[in-house]
Amino acid sequence: MIKKIKPSLSEKILFIFLILLIILTLGSFYILNNKCLFVKKIDLNNIDFKDKQNIAIMEVECGNVLIELDPKIAPKAVNRFKKLINRGSYNGSAFYRVIENTLIQAGDIEYGNVSNLNYSKVGTGKSGLGTIKSELSDNFLFNAGSVAFARKDQFDTEDSEFFITLIDIPIYQGEYTPIGKVIAGMDSLKKIKAGNKSTYVLKPDYIKNIKLLVN
Amino acid sequence: MRYIILIFILFFNFSYVNADAIYNLIKIPNLEVHKVDDVNGIKYLISRRGFVIGDTNNIKCNGINNSDLDREFNTIQNNLRDYNSNFLRKINLKFVVLCKNLEISGINTGGIPDNKFRTLILDLTFNRNYFERMIHHEIFHMIDNSFPELFKKNKWSKLNNKDFSYASCSTCTDLLGLDLEITKGFLTEYSMSTAEEDMAEIYSLLKTNFKEIDLLIKKDNILTKKKNFLINGLKEIDEKFIF
Repeated sequence: MIKKIKPSLSEKILFIFLILLIILTLGSFYILNNKCLFVKKIDLNNIDFKDKQNIAIMEVECGNVLIELDPKIAPKAVNRFKKLINRGSYNGSAFYRVIENTLIQAGDIEYGNVSNLNYSKVGTGKSGLGTIKSELSDNFLFNAGSVAFARKDQFDTEDSEFFITLIDIPIYQGEYTPIGKVIAGMDSLKKIKAGNKSTYVLKPDYIKNIKLLVN
Repeated sequence: MRYIILIFILFFNFSYVNADAIYNLIKIPNLEVHKVDDVNGIKYLISRRGFVIGDTNNIKCNGINNSDLDREFNTIQNNLRDYNSNFLRKINLKFVVLCKNLEISGINTGGIPDNKFRTLILDLTFNRNYFERMIHHEIFHMIDNSFPELFKKNKWSKLNNKDFSYASCSTCTDLLGLDLEITKGFLTEYSMSTAEEDMAEIYSLLKTNFKEIDLLIKKDNILTKKKNFLINGLKEIDEKFIF
């Protein structure tokens, strides 16, 4: 007859410790892999929009981002932005250029869509609509959440690419054409994948879709 | 100790972040904002860690400390306040980068204008005897780069005596003296290097010491023509322009 051996107290404690360790490891793995875990979701019903005609809703990996467009400051730029949204041109557009904790950039329609990302040419693509004149303003403050059209080194070269600032960058005031401000969803933008110091992000995050609240 | 390290890391991180944002704008790394002048809108940027730029990494400048800055900043600001925001916009100047021991292709220089990025890089440790002149000298290069049609070099060259010809570039000659030394049609030895430098020398000397220089110019027929040539061009840019 086999005698049943009961575990000692220390063996029981060790077993419990091992179980906890496994739970902790798996939990940490889950948390580390889920960058959106602590990002607060936006409930559109709880937001009182002052100007519904000028609200864009951009869906990224961690949730929705609401952008209030400012046509008073940059009418042509906002018109172009809306046109590209309505065409669906920005859907799938990669955040190919990310300066960590500083700004994120997307909107290369020709070479920067995740379904057809061209790493050697991204950032040089065109929308096919031509460039627009810079609409600069000394009244638009480039604080965190500012949305503006990117441009080449010269003015009047804005086309479709835009960037969003993640911090205050006052030196950009009067240098870039503003489109609007992020009014909700900054946490989701801060989770956008950053690259290293290279010119683009490998396997970048992207805009799932972007639409206007009222068409 | 641990808090000191933490503060150091945070400080380094903030500077780094701002430097990236500025790099995005004017393609010079390791800069931070020192001041935005509310008189004419110039944005003064400083380099604490130095930088190397240019397609062939041929432009180098070392970082500055607070004492370098305290010594020269007011002089730079006061001289640049001679130019209003409208004029600066026309000549494509918005950012002034301050550093020290500036060199291009191994040659020391007081300033490097870059119209494309609306930037003027200035060496804070440039010879004090010529420092203010150097600022206006470089400003003239920005004017010239922005309006080359107003300052045509062949027209200018014809103002000189027929037996004179400039060198093919400002660094292809030994004529580097900056002291006032009037020779027929020229104010300094460096003036004789190229037409561009000649214009910039006359402009900068008039800008920094108008009364004395103007008297000297009036005694020289060629210099008088050169001064009028410059004034005509400058009035095209800003009809209220005065030295």
